[in-house]
Amino acid sequence: MVSTATAEAPQSGRALNPAAEAAANHIEARGLNKTFGSFKALEDIDFTIKNQEFVSVLGPSGCGKSTLLRIVAGLIPYESGSATIKGEAVRAPRPDVGVVFQTNNMLPWLTVRRNVELGARIRNMPADARDAAVDKILDVLSLTKFADAHPHQLSGGMRQRASIGQALVLDPQILLMDEPFGALDALTRDKLNVELLRIWQESRKTVMLITHSIAEAVFLSDRVLVMADRPGKIVEEVTIDLPRPRNAATTRAMPKFGEYVAYLGKVMGVAS
Amino acid sequence: MPGVSSRLAAYSQVVLFFGAFLLFWEYGVRYFEVKSYILPPISAIAVAVWEARSEIFENSMYTLAEVLIGFGAAVVVGVMLGMVVYVSPFAQRTIYPLVTALQTTPKSALAPLMIVWFGYGFISKVAMAFLFAFFPIVVATLGGFAGTAKNLEEHFRALNAGPWRTFTTLRLPSALPSFIDGCRVAMPLAMIGAIIGELVGSERGLGNLIMLGTASTRTDLVFGCIIVITLISLALYALIEFAAKSVWWRGIQV
Ligand SMILES: Nc1ncnc2c1ncn2[C@@H]1O[C@H](COP(=O)(O)OP(=O)(O)O)[C@@H](O)[C@H]1O
Ligand SMILES: [Mg+2]
Repeated sequence: MVSTATAEAPQSGRALNPAAEAAANHIEARGLNKTFGSFKALEDIDFTIKNQEFVSVLGPSGCGKSTLLRIVAGLIPYESGSATIKGEAVRAPRPDVGVVFQTNNMLPWLTVRRNVELGARIRNMPADARDAAVDKILDVLSLTKFADAHPHQLSGGMRQRASIGQALVLDPQILLMDEPFGALDALTRDKLNVELLRIWQESRKTVMLITHSIAEAVFLSDRVLVMADRPGKIVEEVTIDLPRPRNAATTRAMPKFGEYVAYLGKVMGVAS
Repeated sequence: MPGVSSRLAAYSQVVLFFGAFLLFWEYGVRYFEVKSYILPPISAIAVAVWEARSEIFENSMYTLAEVLIGFGAAVVVGVMLGMVVYVSPFAQRTIYPLVTALQTTPKSALAPLMIVWFGYGFISKVAMAFLFAFFPIVVATLGGFAGTAKNLEEHFRALNAGPWRTFTTLRLPSALPSFIDGCRVAMPLAMIGAIIGELVGSERGLGNLIMLGTASTRTDLVFGCIIVITLISLALYALIEFAAKSVWWRGIQV
């Protein structure tokens, strides 16, 4: 999962190698509008996510977060404005973009291993590369012991990890995640946040994470976009200037961490 | 999951109940002096079946063949039609309402027509078994495809999965539990269809044997045939249940 080009990137700061500069803006939306019939779901959305940046989108339920993610993922059309990935207009799902959905998307009749390798099979990855990738991901996500279990035999947290595995198996440069931990209890959620942080620090993907947990957003992100509803729009952007590498114990204990959480709570209170 | 001992208890209850029922039948008809052409004692039925065993066996195989071929054809045509209706909006607007309307026709009313069309032989009974089994299978197949989870379909779209891959990997396994439910309903119906066909006009089969038995007031033989038909239906149903075990993900939501 660790590509050599990204492994050399400094652990903190946003320094990029010059070659990557051209494609520095991995995800970009300009004046994006989306309506469902007469209902205005998204209005004039503007944002940029740079190469290897971790950006969270916070917002109240129903404000259009999933809709925004679906547009970026190329799953639904939009009316006006533009959504681009690496400078190319988004028209369809792309192989360099992995998506983790709000609902975990395990096929009940397949084992965990088969579920995790689903994307690799669909995209016709050669069998040996696929097996190696799946072995590694199962290991990273501590699911090796459950490789031959079926999804209904797993806990919610394990299923969610496997869902992330489904996206990671293709080693996408860009990862879009829609409230991947939304259905989990706080403790499991915290644990998975730490796992996600570790995976991201090792592989440095460009991440757009949709969440309604302020602490999760602050802990993981370089930047947080706050949305308001009716119509869905971005009302605030906060750069999270906490040092990397972050870890569970020290980062969450920093005074600045608390300040960010408090500030975003205030913004969200106003916004929603 | 029930333990061995409680399962044993359940079985012994069934055995006891049936034993009591058969004893009541055997001695009830004697005690109340029921005429044997109305209801023969169970022992007389057993004797009649034994004496006519080769005849009953041959006719059973004949009827079984009608049922299996009719049912098999219903599965093949039903699944294909279910697929066509699912993928084609045109078929959804035209064929599907037609199928739904035809479903409400009493299929037994079609038996004389089948005999006019296909004669007294094998084919008209296969057609009857087909007609009875067909509709539940189409409806169940369609329901299965339409019930494919939307989030999984989106997941496959996000992976750029082609239509064939999506069909084999997602839609087919999603539809299987519903399809099996359809088979469960259709299998006994196929038997009913074949027997009705034979009763209306036939040269062989258990329904034909029933007609012959009735004409010669061999009520014991008629009862024997009815019991054999029931046993065959039960065996076929058990076969479907066995197949259903391999589609264990029915109702599992993850
Ligand atoms: N396919 C759709 N058709 C009509 N309305 C939709 C559709 N998808 C989402 N919406 C509406 O758009 C709004 C935003 O939905 P969504 O993006 O799912 O919000 P969030 O993910 O922030 O909770 C909601 O009011 C929802 O009802
Ligand atoms: Mg959502």
